[in-house]
Amino acid sequence: MAFDLTPLDLFDPSSYPTRRHEEWKYSDLSRALREVPARAELTHLQAEAGDFGGFYWHCAGDGQLADLQAAVSKAVQSSGGRLYLDMSDVGEEGAMAGYQGEGRITLGEGEHLILLEDYSGALDYAASTVLHFDVAEGATLIRVVILDEPESAVSVRRSTVTTAPGSVFKQYVFATGAKFQRFETHVAHAGHGAQVEMHGAYLLKDTAHFDYTTRVNHAEVDGATQQLIKGLVKDRATAVFQGRIYVEKGADGTDARMRHQALMLNDGAHVRAKPELEIYADDVQCAHGNTIGALDESALFFCQSRGMPEEVARALLMQAFVVPVAEQIEDEALREMVLNWIADKTEGFYAL
Amino acid sequence: MLNIENLTVSVDDKTILKGLNLNVPAGEVHAIMGPNGAGKSTLGYTLAGRPNYEVTQGAVDFNGEDLLEKDVHERAAAGLYLSFQYPLEIPGVPAMTFIRTALNAQRKLRGEEEMSAPEFLKTIREVAKTLKIDMDMLKRPLNVGFSGGEKKRMEVLQMALLQPKFLILDETDSGLDIDALKVVSDGVNALRSDDRGMLVITHYQRLLDHIKPDRIHILVDGRIVHSGGPELALELEAHGYDRYVNEAA
Repeated sequence: MAFDLTPLDLFDPSSYPTRRHEEWKYSDLSRALREVPARAELTHLQAEAGDFGGFYWHCAGDGQLADLQAAVSKAVQSSGGRLYLDMSDVGEEGAMAGYQGEGRITLGEGEHLILLEDYSGALDYAASTVLHFDVAEGATLIRVVILDEPESAVSVRRSTVTTAPGSVFKQYVFATGAKFQRFETHVAHAGHGAQVEMHGAYLLKDTAHFDYTTRVNHAEVDGATQQLIKGLVKDRATAVFQGRIYVEKGADGTDARMRHQALMLNDGAHVRAKPELEIYADDVQCAHGNTIGALDESALFFCQSRGMPEEVARALLMQAFVVPVAEQIEDEALREMVLNWIADKTEGFYAL
Repeated sequence: MLNIENLTVSVDDKTILKGLNLNVPAGEVHAIMGPNGAGKSTLGYTLAGRPNYEVTQGAVDFNGEDLLEKDVHERAAAGLYLSFQYPLEIPGVPAMTFIRTALNAQRKLRGEEEMSAPEFLKTIREVAKTLKIDMDMLKRPLNVGFSGGEKKRMEVLQMALLQPKFLILDETDSGLDIDALKVVSDGVNALRSDDRGMLVITHYQRLLDHIKPDRIHILVDGRIVHSGGPELALELEAHGYDRYVNEAA
């Protein structure tokens, strides 16, 4: 069963979910988006050879992301099988520009795609997007997502993923939060040897809000799901993790593991974690773990006693906490890029 | 080199060190021995500047500078090195990265040039070999899953690379078997020199068979109650601390 989702309609405030909706209890969109944004014009839509060793596709605007599949096909046929997707929205100063879009990516049997989605953006905007992924039998989709949006941004990024037997879907999301930032992934797990991994790391400070909501439906036998989400929360920032793994009756042999670990760096920071396992099959292995703690003061002293100033020691330990997520990225160039991005974000993250 | 006067230290409002006096000149190795709870580790932590170790009285002069005025990392850059009884595990940070970060932070603070990656690699390779440390181990997160012996060898590796002026070894023999004790002691002895001082904190005489001290001080209830030559260790091994504990009480 595939998930049927549409973009959240930014231009119809009556459709905004409220905190009365269980799924939106910890992320209050109405509060973040008090004014209806002005519908923004479509500005770019193109596919061209880029420096990501594959193809470069740029979209900023509203509407159907119709040419996306053409860029994917080109990328899949190229030697690297890589696509850099620039999803950065550029808003307006002082006024909320609204971007809304929906796109579909289909990977054929045995095809392999490494997708780097870059949501950087600038100025004031609200964005609502949905990407639908269809991953055919034996195909592999690696998805690396960088959510590095301006602090005034409001964004709801949704995706649906439909897998097939023997396929691989791996997702790595790295986020710094925004005024409101929610990243949803809904996976219909095909089982029969299909593998799903949905990882993530968040680095939040000031009043940033980041919500990582994942849902995996295991409907068939022998499906595997793995999740590792780690994050740092500082100042008055808020992290929300809602992870739901649903194992239907008969989906025996399911192996699902979910871990969420957060560090709260001061009082006033918030972490809301809601890991859920709903299991109706008998013969399954499912586990979830959730830990929220503070930076280890003894380790901090140990680092300082070897000569590291406090801010260097803190940055080192904070970086060390989240890098295991990035270290799982198999593609070396991409892994290095993400590790550098993390180093860049954690450096000075702890200004004393 | 290190001159401690009337050092009084409280931890969580409990006074642990009660007017300790100690002078370790450059080129000498002094040992601090004493029963459990005497304040041996507190002395090491206080000198290194651990938070919550509150100095209520006294002064510590290190090479003509006021040690207690300095932050933890400044003490390290000034040349003080505390080898921990239980070195901490640092998940996610490869040992090599940890050591290089520490070394270059110290150099930067001293106004020296940072060590380049190739130069660092060459140096660490040489030192690791003498300590029988595998280079693969240095790529693993520092101390995570290491045995007691491996952790202590990593401590000695760091000393050898950081080249501190003064070493404080806190119960370095704990958790070591005889072979590991020899490797670690050899590593420490290799660092003995005329311009370097050492303070060896230990419970047992065993370590002092390998690292021979010039002076031994007996610490009881937060004070040095007796000092003597290396022969003192043998006497303690034979008769225990009772005599000194009773005298102090």
